[in-house]
Amino acid sequence: MPKEKRFFREGGRRVVKAFAKFHPVTLFAYFAVILLFSMFIRNPVTVCLSLLGGAAFCSTLTNKREKLDDIKFYIPLTVLIAITNPLISHNGKTPLFFLNGNAFTLESIYYGVFIALMIIAVRMWSKSYSRIVTSDKFLYLFGRFAPKTALILSVALRYVPMMKAQAKKIKDAQKTLGLYSKGSYADNVVSTVKVYSALIGWSLENAVETGKNMKARGWGHGKRTSFSSFRFRAADAVVLVLLAVFSAAMLISLRTGRLAFSFYPEPTALPADPVSVFAYVCFALLSFIPFFIESEENIRWNCLRSKT
Amino acid sequence: MELLKIKNLSFTYPNCDKKALDGIDLSIEKGGFYLLCGYTGSGKTTLLKLLKPETAPFGEKTGEIEYSDVFGSEVSPFDIGFVSQDPNEQTVTDKVWHELTFGLENMGLSKKEIRLKTGEAASYFGIAEKFNCSTDSLSGGEKQLLTLAGAVVTNPKLLILDEPTSQLDPITAVSFIDTIRRVNRDFGITVIIAEHRLEDVFSLADRVIAMDAGKKIACDTPENVCSLLKDSRLFMGFPSSARIWRDSGSSGRCPVSVREGKAFIKEIFGEHIAEYVPEKSEINESPEALNVKGVWFRYEKDLPDVLRDFSLSVKKGEIFGILGSNGVGKTTLLKVLAGLNKPYSGKIRVFDKKIEDYKRGALYKSCVALLPQDPKTVFIKSTVREDLEDILINCGAKKDDARKKAEETAAGFGITELLGKNPYDLSGGERQKCAMIKLLLTDPEIIMLDEPTKGLDAYSKNRLIELLNSLKNEGKTIIAVTHDIEFAAAVSSRTALLFDGELIAEGEPREFFKANTFYTTAAYRIANENIKNAVFCSEVCAAVKEYTGKNE
Repeated sequence: MPKEKRFFREGGRRVVKAFAKFHPVTLFAYFAVILLFSMFIRNPVTVCLSLLGGAAFCSTLTNKREKLDDIKFYIPLTVLIAITNPLISHNGKTPLFFLNGNAFTLESIYYGVFIALMIIAVRMWSKSYSRIVTSDKFLYLFGRFAPKTALILSVALRYVPMMKAQAKKIKDAQKTLGLYSKGSYADNVVSTVKVYSALIGWSLENAVETGKNMKARGWGHGKRTSFSSFRFRAADAVVLVLLAVFSAAMLISLRTGRLAFSFYPEPTALPADPVSVFAYVCFALLSFIPFFIESEENIRWNCLRSKT
Repeated sequence: MELLKIKNLSFTYPNCDKKALDGIDLSIEKGGFYLLCGYTGSGKTTLLKLLKPETAPFGEKTGEIEYSDVFGSEVSPFDIGFVSQDPNEQTVTDKVWHELTFGLENMGLSKKEIRLKTGEAASYFGIAEKFNCSTDSLSGGEKQLLTLAGAVVTNPKLLILDEPTSQLDPITAVSFIDTIRRVNRDFGITVIIAEHRLEDVFSLADRVIAMDAGKKIACDTPENVCSLLKDSRLFMGFPSSARIWRDSGSSGRCPVSVREGKAFIKEIFGEHIAEYVPEKSEINESPEALNVKGVWFRYEKDLPDVLRDFSLSVKKGEIFGILGSNGVGKTTLLKVLAGLNKPYSGKIRVFDKKIEDYKRGALYKSCVALLPQDPKTVFIKSTVREDLEDILINCGAKKDDARKKAEETAAGFGITELLGKNPYDLSGGERQKCAMIKLLLTDPEIIMLDEPTKGLDAYSKNRLIELLNSLKNEGKTIIAVTHDIEFAAAVSSRTALLFDGELIAEGEPREFFKANTFYTTAAYRIANENIKNAVFCSEVCAAVKEYTGKNE
């Protein structure tokens, strides 16, 4: 079934990204921090930095075609938001023209662009998250609080592709037996209902078998442990410490209003005192951590290659 | 040393008059390799399930199973490993590594121990490369290997396998059996394996346990079991060499493998070379039922071609057998022929009419029908009766007529007692037969079969061959893809080998199997050095009888 095989990203021989080798706790903490800061700091500089860091890292994960698709999608999105925001929001000091008696302001366009950049940044980070924090890492993280739920999730995750495949098999089998043959909408509905009722029967049957099998393999026999092949390394500690230091710097700057910025009625001056600049530098370093880790490994490989 | 002892064990399922097991006495030695054979319904599975406390079915049990001291005071689930037929039903989690660690986690071992044990097991079974993969990216053979690894990793004293190779193709099956044998030899784990396909496993066993109708009828070495059961109906499923030995009326030690069979034939014939003269087969001059020309097919634009410039011509009233290994595209081919997959280039004509010209499912009305690999997918209702009625109504029959016709048909095929049952409760052979009957109710002219012998015992296989032959005599055209060489040899009028997207060899079975070295019948492999032209056991026997008769 070549068609189904394409769904599996984590193939045995696929090269694992350098950042993905970190412990799930580190990864989860990192993505949580960067996503929160990207979403909630209203400052053009930090949003741009987050976007650049996210895009740089994302570019190491995607192939040429995906990158092109991304660019094709995000440029029109930015333009669209930049235009629609002034239509909704009429705040701002500098009206460009009036539409139905409502002001179309320059500040609203600025704000629209800002929102678009923020959305793209968040998208970039979420995309990276879904590729790096795979289902087994997620299960490992939450399996500690609820081991049984985690196992059920693991079992359920297996069911999704399996049921999809079975639905196709039943449908094909029934097609040659005369279902879906009348071509009418009603017939299609009736046929689909029949196929799905058969699928439900099959999956219940299968679930019972799985349950029996779990029991036969010692499920529910005494105390259970939970295995994972993840290790907490020194590098994890380094990243976590950096994360803590940078986050603390950001939080302090935020509390003292050093990153404050507003678009209305007119854009305020960008905070540029030494403390703010220090915060920008911290945030830049923070958002480029994954990209640095990825590049560092690339450079190391290039050196190794050129030596031999 | 004795591992366990079964004393006068009988078992009856609830709501059942017949005993599933009837007074079984058996002693299992530690480190032995036991083969359990018998037809579907002989009580094999019941016996195996009773051996493991967690899988024991509900019902009335008399007699005893005595576990030796090896098991300690209580038999834990980790002491007895169980591998059954369907690898899909036995996989619990979504990742290969999780599947391996599942049992160990249940044992409550520490992370370190689990890491060591799974690492070892993955390396030993050759699945290390797949360690981080999803379980459903594995092939059937790999899945079954994973199940075995998952059962062995907890270090069991006894390994029970219930028809573990029935869903695998012959080559994968042989390597799976070899792995089991290796586990048995390397670790001294006692193995009890139930099998239908005895050709390869028979000679490997230390002891063969034969069962019929819930009774143990023999338990001895493979050779002795052959001598003991000379007149039993079970013999039909025994290896080709044993069948040749019996049917040619020989005495002495029974050969149980191809190698021994070869020596046996050599001993009789010496340097003499006999020839089997086959009857001239009739040339089929009927019109073409199916014509395929230059078909190319692939699933997606950026995936490789499955069919490449594929051509085929099947005449009406023929049984056309297509052989091929796993993953070569046999199922895909059938789906293309049945119009479920659309080729991107090439022509398919059904009864001299383009396949695209059959509109609105006209192709599946009294014309083409496909029996899929998994007969479970054929049933959509909760009883066989409802399913048969449903298809008749779908074909345009009235409700009362449908009921009557369903019962008549069922009686005609001798499945009346199965009508009220749920399709999932039937045995493999019964389910396949019912699926076939449901398919026949659409009155198709061309019947396509995908691996029809999967999981069938020798008896059901012979019934299927009879059924297909009678359909052929009615003028139906049958196309079967299979990796069962013996079945293809026995049933087809023409046979072909699918490889690399096209049919690379094609011909009458005799010519086809004579030309092959690997893809040929066991009887031919046994006899080809001394008897020319003999492809079946019966033919080898005839030649042997003729030669020995001449020399007396």
